[in-house]
Order: sequence, then structure tokens, then C-alpha cells
Amino acid sequence: MRDTPLSFAERIGWGALGLAVLLGTWTLLTASGLVPRPFLPTPLDVLDRMIELMSAPFAGATLPQHLASSFERYAYGVLLAALIGVPLGLLMGWFRWLDDIVTPLFDGLRFIAPIAWVPFAALWFGTGIGGPVLIIFAGAFPPCLINAYRGARFVEPRLIEAARMLGTGNLRIILEILLPAATPSIVAGLRVAAGLGWQSLVGAELIVAAAGVGFMMVQAQANVATPTVMAGMVAIGIVGMVIDVALRQGEAWLRRRRGLEA
Amino acid sequence: MGSIRFDKVDKVFGPLTGGVKALDSIDLEIAEKEFVAIVGPSGCGKTTCLRMVAGFEAPSAGVVSVNGKKVTAPGPDRAVVFQQFALFPWKTVRENIDLGLRNKGLAKSERDERIASALRLMNLESHADAFPHQLSGGMQQRVAIARAYVLDPEVLLMDEPFGALDAQTRVVMQEELVRLARVNPRTVLFITHAVEEAVYLADRVAVMTRRPGRIKEILDIRSVREAENWDRHQKIEDVMDLESFVHLRTQIWKSLREEKGPLGV
Amino acid sequence: MMGRKGLASLTSVAAALLLWFVVTTLTGLVSPGRFPSPAEFWQSLVQIATRGYAGAPLLAHAVQSLKLVLLGFAVAVATGVPLGLWMGWSRRAEAAINPVFLLIRPIPPLAWIPLAILWLGLGDAAKIMVIWFAAFVPSVINAFAGVRAIDRPMIEAARMLGTPRWRLVREVIAPAASPMIFTGLRLSLQASWTTLVAAELVGALLGIGFVLNVAQQDIYPGMILVGMVTVGLLGWATTWLLAMAEQRALAWNMAARD
Repeated sequence: MRDTPLSFAERIGWGALGLAVLLGTWTLLTASGLVPRPFLPTPLDVLDRMIELMSAPFAGATLPQHLASSFERYAYGVLLAALIGVPLGLLMGWFRWLDDIVTPLFDGLRFIAPIAWVPFAALWFGTGIGGPVLIIFAGAFPPCLINAYRGARFVEPRLIEAARMLGTGNLRIILEILLPAATPSIVAGLRVAAGLGWQSLVGAELIVAAAGVGFMMVQAQANVATPTVMAGMVAIGIVGMVIDVALRQGEAWLRRRRGLEA
Repeated sequence: MGSIRFDKVDKVFGPLTGGVKALDSIDLEIAEKEFVAIVGPSGCGKTTCLRMVAGFEAPSAGVVSVNGKKVTAPGPDRAVVFQQFALFPWKTVRENIDLGLRNKGLAKSERDERIASALRLMNLESHADAFPHQLSGGMQQRVAIARAYVLDPEVLLMDEPFGALDAQTRVVMQEELVRLARVNPRTVLFITHAVEEAVYLADRVAVMTRRPGRIKEILDIRSVREAENWDRHQKIEDVMDLESFVHLRTQIWKSLREEKGPLGV
Repeated sequence: MMGRKGLASLTSVAAALLLWFVVTTLTGLVSPGRFPSPAEFWQSLVQIATRGYAGAPLLAHAVQSLKLVLLGFAVAVATGVPLGLWMGWSRRAEAAINPVFLLIRPIPPLAWIPLAILWLGLGDAAKIMVIWFAAFVPSVINAFAGVRAIDRPMIEAARMLGTPRWRLVREVIAPAASPMIFTGLRLSLQASWTTLVAAELVGALLGIGFVLNVAQQDIYPGMILVGMVTVGLLGWATTWLLAMAEQRALAWNMAARD
């Protein structure tokens, strides 16, 4: 805005400075003994602990094993949200009466944070896989529904008129006009859902799970094993980032195929 | 006070990546209280000329100066009227006009007085407390002109100020500007791609070439206007019917047409 | 006058309540151990409102949660919005801070809860810290995007008028970015509630999340529902307040939209 855009070298330089300040402050704080090491391990301690956790179990499993059980729940939860949310959203976009019925209930429920479903989730489905899946579902469901609904609701009316003029039935309009026209919006919603689902997963595992990265972190917290807590945070961050990048790639690919700018 | 001078001014955009030469050795002098319009094909760099006087951009070579002082930064001595109005939508008409005066650190009583006279000058009195979005495009541009005039600037820079207006509003604003220039003459640098507008408003018209922009010729309008006494006509369409007007307009059109590409674009 | 839409909403909500009554009370299709009947919900509500539950009456729990959310939200906004504005204004600030952001952002705010408890214990400070982290990011990102989206001529007009730096930020940059800033505040507020409930579920001695936690351990469905409804109502009320504030602050912008 005020400045002219930076050159590539300047960007790298400033970026490196920012990271150096972060890591430097962190290291200095703990290495100098200002913050006791059990409370804030150095970056290297965390890295060491991560490598260790690759093979050594903590709270009943190694880090990859915890991640695997986290990911399984996550996949079920998000899949369920997509399988229910997207069709329901499309139908609401087409049938006005369904919109009238669902929207007020949905708007009411939306103000309840997904994580507040934890007690019922545990009560209904236990702490194995069912409970956490419900919470992930609660986090991932709204964007699936909302984006499918918006995509279907704001389809170019000419397309629908053209289909009507050709004598197309309801089901065929939904499948062959609304669904493809709403796809970019749906995919964007899925990406948001994936992010929120990952968030909810962490929350769920902190509270009601008996395995998974979140569970590992709570156990570590109870044992004042700070490096393990932080290793869990890093692992969660990395997996979350990988999921996001993968979905972005998919979305960009889809937009290119549709001839939209990426 | 208020002369502008371009001295062998070059402008290259993106010098780090090879660069595009936008302006090539511009030489132009605008005397105090003179109204000069620059016309040229789109992309010829005419707006860049104005932006350098305003201090938004620096020349790659050469010097742009106002009153013999090199321009280095924007300032209220060189008020700009933008094509997109650039009013602050969260400020009322009065507050928009007031900002420049507050920046000058003037006392409230003097500011109120100057705002009132600016509102009167631009026929905005009944809209002083409206927000910009409540006004038509023509009204918004009046506010922008009032905001510039109220600073009592030495130089007024107008960047296609009527380009975003519809044809009828545009004519009204052009007549208004002529009235203003007679009542309250200023040094004006006026950028436009509308030839009639330039001939109607300006004392001199500079015609620019395609990129890299150069000044191709400068026509003296003022001598013709005074010799033929254009000012006896109130309405723009009467002036535009005059033979002397048509002659100048045709001359500029021909000059510009030579600059068009093979397909006339 | 109530439009077709309002009537439909009312019917829909009434039907849902009726259905609730039918499946829990009339037919017993859903057992009381799984989901409370309206009567049980009411009894739980009366119990916590008058005699208290989980160590305090409902009002005390609600006030505690509300206090922490508002504090955390306020700290996040007070730090996040200026940082976002600065990053939007200065390319150097953006280049230096963005990589740090990219590094920290993928970690979900809830994942900070164990660390916050380790550092600060089960008291208010840990919760405020986690809410701060959660609500900080949307505030920064939207303020940043808001500045970057400002029309260039707007800034140039201000500079041409000789506007000094601070006045430029206060009267031009901040208002111009404010529609985006408010979008960020809405997201921040939402994140604040989610995070607070999670943090209180993990460990607290007072607050709505703590009520949920105790009710879960007591296997007390009526009280669980009371807790959820309270969280929803508080979330709705704060969102509504923010929307009112936005409407007042952005009157110039709202009017421009219609």
C-alpha cells in the first residue's frame, strides 16, 4: 500500500528475520533459565521428543499410532457431514418448504459450539469412536450444508428456466443442473468443513477419547511432560496443514477444469 | 505562484523486471493560472504525468517542479480531483471538505467559514450533512472539487474528473468548471481523453503519442477563444457549433488518429 | 405483521418442540437416560437456577463464562486488529510476520489448551490465554485483508490533503477496513465461545463448560441440555450485541448496500 512491493530477496530476508526472532526468543527464554525447562522446552527438545515418539509409545501408543486413530475418526466425521450436509443443502436450495422447515432449527442450533455436544456424544456413543465422530460431525456439518444450499439457491435462473422449458423433472434438475452448478461452492465448503472438523477432533480428543493425539496431549499435560504436549501440537499442525494443502490443490484443479480462474 | 514545469521527464515502470517505458522526455511548462489539458490515447501515460505533479510517483529521469521547487511528496498545495471521486464514504460532505482544513491546523471558525463558501460555490449547501452514497455521481464530484478548492491550492490537478459521469451530468459539470475558472482562476492540469472537453475548457491542449508517451504538439486555444469571443455563449453546445471550435477539434482528432493502431484502437 | 417466512419458522420450531414431547414423554421412544423430556429439562433448569449445581447457581456459571469470553475476546481484538492493520500497511511487517503466522496458524486453538493448563493452571488466566490465541487469528487476517482491499485513490486523496500519519490511520485506514474488521470480529467471537467451552470442559471449577462436565459425569441428561441451551443463548446474545455495534459503526456502509 504505502510501500512498493518488496523484491524476492527482501521478502526472504524479512521472513527469516521474523522466524529468527520467534525461535531466538523461545530458545533464549528457556536456555537462560528465565522460564524453567520443564515448562518450556527448547525447540530442539521438542524435535527430539517428536523423533522419539515415532517409535516409543506414550499413553499406550506411538505418535503415528495415535495419529492413525485420530485420523480414522476424523475421516468418518467429515465424511458423514458431507454425505448428509451436501444433499440436504441441495434439496433445501430447490424445495422451498424444506428450506422453511430446516433453516430456523439449523439457525438455532448453530449458536451451540460443536464442542458443547461432548457430553451427549459421550452419553450416546461412548468414548471410542462414536462420541468423537459426532463432535467432528457437529463441527464439519454447517459449512457443508450452507455452501451446498447457497450454491443451489444462487444458480443462474436462466439455466433452470432452460431445463424447465425442456421438460426436466425435479430429481434430474437437482442432479444435472444444481449439483454441477453448485460444485465450486460445495468444494469450498468441504475445505472449510475439513478445517473445522480437524479443530473439533482435537477438542473431542482432549475431553472424551481413550486414544489419539489429543488424548496423548492431555495425558502428557497431567504428567507435566511439556515436550510431549508440544510434540503433539506440532504433529496436529502438520497434519492439519497437509489436509488443507491437499484440498486447496483439489479445489484449484477443479476450478481450472471448469474454466474458472484458480 | 503556481507554475508547473516538466523538464525532460522519463518514466519507466517495473525497472527491476526489464521495464516498460511509459513517458519519454516530457517537456512542458504551465504558467500561473493557466488551464492546460492533456489528451492522448489510453495508456499513453497522461495520468502518470498528473500523478508525478501530485507527488504520488517519482520520475525515472528528469525533474517535475512546482514554483521552481522539485516535487517529492503529495501535499495540499497541489489538490487532486480523482476520476473515482475518492470521497471518504464514512464522512459527511462537510467532514470530507473539512479534513484538509483540519490538517492545515486552522481554527474552527475559519474552517466553518471556508467550508460554507466552498459549499456555496459548488451549490452543495443543502447536502452538507449527507453521506457521499446518498448523492448522485455529479454531486459527489462537486464535493470532490469543493474539497480541493477549499484548500486554496496553487495547483489543481484533475484526472479525468468527469469520466465516470453520464453525458448530461458531464455537460453541466463542464459548464460549471468554466464558470469556476472565470470566478476563481487557478493553475489547472486537466487529463482527459475527450477532445471536445479539452478544447472547451483549456487555454492550451497538449496532445500525447502512444506509449512511450511524448508530447506531440501543443495547441493554443486561448488566443482563438478570445479572438472569437467564445465566452459570449453560455451553453456548451453553442460553443461547440462555432466554426473555430470545430476547426480546433478536427485538428486534434487528426493528430490523435495518427496515433491509433492499424485497427483504429 | 408476520410474513410467510416468520410463520413457517414458528411452525417449524413448534413442530420440533412437539416432536420432542412426543418421543420422550408420550411414547417413551427415547429413554430418559439418553435425552431428557421437556419436564426433566424444566426441573433441571429450576434446580440449577435456584439451588445451584456444580457448586453454584446458573447465573454465577453464566457470568463466569461470559466474563472470560469477553476478556479473551477483548484482548485478542485489541492486539489482533492493530497487528493486522500494521501488516496491511507495511510490506516489511507482512514479510516478517507472515512466516511466523504460517508456522503457528495450522495448530488449532484447542490444541493450546493442555499447554495453557500446564503453564497457568485451571484458573482464569489459562482460559483467557487460549481464547486470545483462538480469537487473535481471525482478527489479524481480516484487518490485514481490509487494509489491502482499500482503494488506492482513497489513500492518495488523504495524502494529497496533507493528512498526518495518526489521523490517516484513525480516520481513513481503520474506517475503510472496518467492514472487514467486523467480519473478523464475528469469527473471533465464535472462536472465543468454542474455545471457552472446550477449555472449561477440560478443566474448570466454575462456568457453563464445567456444568456440562459435571452433568456428563453424573449422567444427568436434563442438566446437559440446560448447559447446552445456556451456551447457545449466551452465544446468540453476544453475537447480536456485536451485530448491533456493527450496524451503528457502519451506518454509512449499510446504507450504501441497499
